[in-house]
Amino acid sequence: MITDIDNSWKRDSDGLGVWEHRGKVAIAGFGHSPVDRRWDEVNLESSLGAYALLACRKAIEDAGMSLNDIDGVVCCPTTISGDSGGSASNWAPRPYFDPPYDSEWGLTRVNAQWLIANLGLKNVKFAPSTAPTISEMVGLAAQAVGDGLCNNCLMIYPTGNMAGRYRRGGPNASDYAEGDSQWTAPWGNHGGNDFINIFPHQQYCRKYGGEHDDVAPFVLNQHRNGLMTPWGFNYQNNIPQLTHDDYVSSRYILRPLRLWDCDRPVNAAGAYLFTTGERAVDAKQPPVYVLNHSQHNFTFKTTQPTLDEIELWTDIAAQRMYEGSGLTAADVDIFNPYDGYSIMAQFFLEGFQWHGVKRGDAFAFYAGDIRVEGPHPLCSSGGNLGNGRTRTAMYTDSIEQLRGTAGPRQVTTRAETALAAFTTPSSGGWIMLGKNPD
Amino acid sequence: MAEPCKIVISYDIDGTVFAGDPPGKITLDMIQESKQLGYIIGSASDRTVTDQTQIWDRSGVDMDFIVLKHTLPETIAGLDPEFGFHIGDTNMDEYFAKQAGLTFIDIINGDFESFWTALVSQSLKP
Repeated sequence: MITDIDNSWKRDSDGLGVWEHRGKVAIAGFGHSPVDRRWDEVNLESSLGAYALLACRKAIEDAGMSLNDIDGVVCCPTTISGDSGGSASNWAPRPYFDPPYDSEWGLTRVNAQWLIANLGLKNVKFAPSTAPTISEMVGLAAQAVGDGLCNNCLMIYPTGNMAGRYRRGGPNASDYAEGDSQWTAPWGNHGGNDFINIFPHQQYCRKYGGEHDDVAPFVLNQHRNGLMTPWGFNYQNNIPQLTHDDYVSSRYILRPLRLWDCDRPVNAAGAYLFTTGERAVDAKQPPVYVLNHSQHNFTFKTTQPTLDEIELWTDIAAQRMYEGSGLTAADVDIFNPYDGYSIMAQFFLEGFQWHGVKRGDAFAFYAGDIRVEGPHPLCSSGGNLGNGRTRTAMYTDSIEQLRGTAGPRQVTTRAETALAAFTTPSSGGWIMLGKNPD
Repeated sequence: MAEPCKIVISYDIDGTVFAGDPPGKITLDMIQESKQLGYIIGSASDRTVTDQTQIWDRSGVDMDFIVLKHTLPETIAGLDPEFGFHIGDTNMDEYFAKQAGLTFIDIINGDFESFWTALVSQSLKP
């Protein structure tokens, strides 16, 4: 049942036209584990594996299905805390526990094989051995159902974290940046997207006017939305609402990137159940149809992308998504781009031109009314910034908004289509969802 | 009559004190004891001041200062102590402690127990 797959399922090139399975695949259920800052390394019931099992069971229950209905499993087997995460990402060399926690599987990583065994799934016929990040996994699951490789596909995204410095192990813990890392990661993990996005962000400020702290209203609103999201970290842990003073007085992580521009690593798991459109009609919850999925992985000309490149890449991503869904910017009601670093969101907002936002308009848009109660409910999920680094908030909120079950986060504007992503400007993917199949 | 010795004890929260996430080894009773012994005590964390204040209010601890970690230098300069210590668990704690002229006490890898014994016996030296 565990199979190797190639990348032919991806929709990662231009001119593909409307997705052949548009409206014929749906999300019938979702489930979340609690969101902890870290696994406490004592209670196996709150380990990453236990949380993944819990999220799966909740998703199946949400859809009104049973374990025997599941015939597809897509799970990301890598650790979000990084291969160089040190003690935050590896339990070894400490001794393991009794089965099923007798290896890294279930403690720091979860894969399809472990889930199938421990959920007791007996009818799985599609379970790729590798699955990339959540943005591509939602596309893979949708495509697999559309192609008939399975009918009811569980997609699980585990995001683990343990004590220790997140992504600061291995070479990142060194006092030296050797070889190529002297150009790309001179300060340990700050070779990641924080470093990569700062340069174009500063170019953006120079080109269009404004300054870094103009991002503040967006960040504060993400926290506000997060406090209305029961399945998020901030809500579950009584985190006080971030204020403007809190934001502008917070320390720089990598100037001008502030602490609150960065998401908070957590220990959690989220699961989604993809099914055929026909089956979704009979599911427990109103179906949320998949109208398109697309991916991208653009090549850097150098170690550092420029503003021009990022604007081109996000333009292309928007074009692919709109073409494949048959929709335009004016048709998109819910817009949940990725915000793992706050300064990425402006590029997505302007690239997709949600609510008419053009290049250079984002800061003025942030300064307007972007609350969920208002006319421009940007990122109604609260994203990673408001919920922790689960990378699932954008998807679950989109589903809830279309179902009309987002509670205090429910937008007051039309909610019939939703666009969600986990992506950087250079790589990742988008998914378009609809309340109706056509 | 001579003024009492002005010694600052600054506490990081997460990974350092029991109320932190993850919980550290310093209990609320230990913090209270340091206050009763006459030290100038406070917290310096990346948590917002509101968040820190709520922790100490819930715990009934009367802090002399509650600040963001990176503002330790100006905070300590304003207190003008004879000397002081910042207890924490990361290199950022060490960095800002040194910037503030405080001795850094590494609660994970350092000899915290000896430090605390000296604190309780009021024999701390810079």
